[in-house]
Amino acid sequence: MNSTGTAVRPRNENAPSGAPNERALLERVKMHDVDAFERLYRIYQPRLARFLINLLMRPQLVEEVLDDTMMVVWQTAESFRGTSKLSTWVFAIAYRKALKARARWPDPVEDEDRDMRVSNDPGPDSELERSRIHDALISAMAKLSAEQRAVVDLTYFHGLNYREIADIVSCPVDTVKTRMFHARRRLKQTLSGTFTDWL
Amino acid sequence: MPNPIQTEVSPHDAAEELLPWYATGQLEPDERALVEQHLSSCAHCRRQLAFERRMVDEFADLTPEIDTAWARLRQRIEPPRRTVARPSLWDRVAREAADFWQNLSRPAVAVLATLQLAIIGGAGAFVTLSQESYQALSSAPLPASANVIVMFGGDTTESEIRGLLQANNATLVGGPTPADAYLLEVPSQSRTAVLSHLRADDHVTLAQPIDGPQP
Repeated sequence: MNSTGTAVRPRNENAPSGAPNERALLERVKMHDVDAFERLYRIYQPRLARFLINLLMRPQLVEEVLDDTMMVVWQTAESFRGTSKLSTWVFAIAYRKALKARARWPDPVEDEDRDMRVSNDPGPDSELERSRIHDALISAMAKLSAEQRAVVDLTYFHGLNYREIADIVSCPVDTVKTRMFHARRRLKQTLSGTFTDWL
Repeated sequence: MPNPIQTEVSPHDAAEELLPWYATGQLEPDERALVEQHLSSCAHCRRQLAFERRMVDEFADLTPEIDTAWARLRQRIEPPRRTVARPSLWDRVAREAADFWQNLSRPAVAVLATLQLAIIGGAGAFVTLSQESYQALSSAPLPASANVIVMFGGDTTESEIRGLLQANNATLVGGPTPADAYLLEVPSQSRTAVLSHLRADDHVTLAQPIDGPQP
């Protein structure tokens, strides 16, 4: 049930076109159909991995949390009532699991010299330039809180609207907007210090 | 009830807050109209919208190399950490599925006598539990009343386990086994619901019936 936005990006993987297939798979998962679960896993694994790696900042935890998330899907599929999108339900499970995992592994200490090294890199060719941008983005994301990273990634990459994000992270929509506002401001400050053409 | 956006937030702030979702095409028509009306008169928000669009593009492009990028970053911000081997998801799922169909295909009495649950040990080795194995692995023979086997995550506290059992009207009748499994007795008429509750709990890593399908 996406809004009728001006230009829903093709990479919005929660588009309604994909939903019926996922729901059909879940119905089979409820009957403990492993083949259906594998197909569902293959749909969600890349999306969850991407979401979790941004949220956790601990690559070694991503597999654990992702597996635990999909185990909950497998074990409690019958509890999904269809009042939200399947993706919202799955991402909400992943978000809760990730926050619990983070409690055991606090965010790493930021490398304060990192930005300087990145910005000093001359980057004469396009590949190196892309690498510099990627590094800067990752470094900028690292300066955000986990809650902000979740909202940023669900917005920019996963293409979700703020109501869906509020459902996933279990907070009011105004909180989502506020987190996004402060996250954007911090990202902009960080990135504009690295790339002058961003402003 | 008054709309807080209209009464407490200026049109500029309201529009600026919505810009990320305007850039991704995820606003309702009325919200989109509000943003577009404001954009026509606010240079600051037009510049901010350009930033939003670039962020959307950069995040999309970030994906293919993110593993490499994170590996690089990890090397810089933390020392390599020894990882603990975990059973793969597929090992766990395949075992559960096998158990499920086994339970369905056998009479309840036969299930209790022949049930084979392979539970993955801490080092990744399989420990096979049958009725005899339960007796061997438990401090006491399998209680006749046990109808659920459950395992908890390593960080679950004793008080969390106690609360979970009380919430589900479950009685601890055996365990922990060397594989850290516990045997529970739950009211037979609510066993399905209890299993569902247990499986939905973040502390529970496995919850299985051990006395066959629900009568």
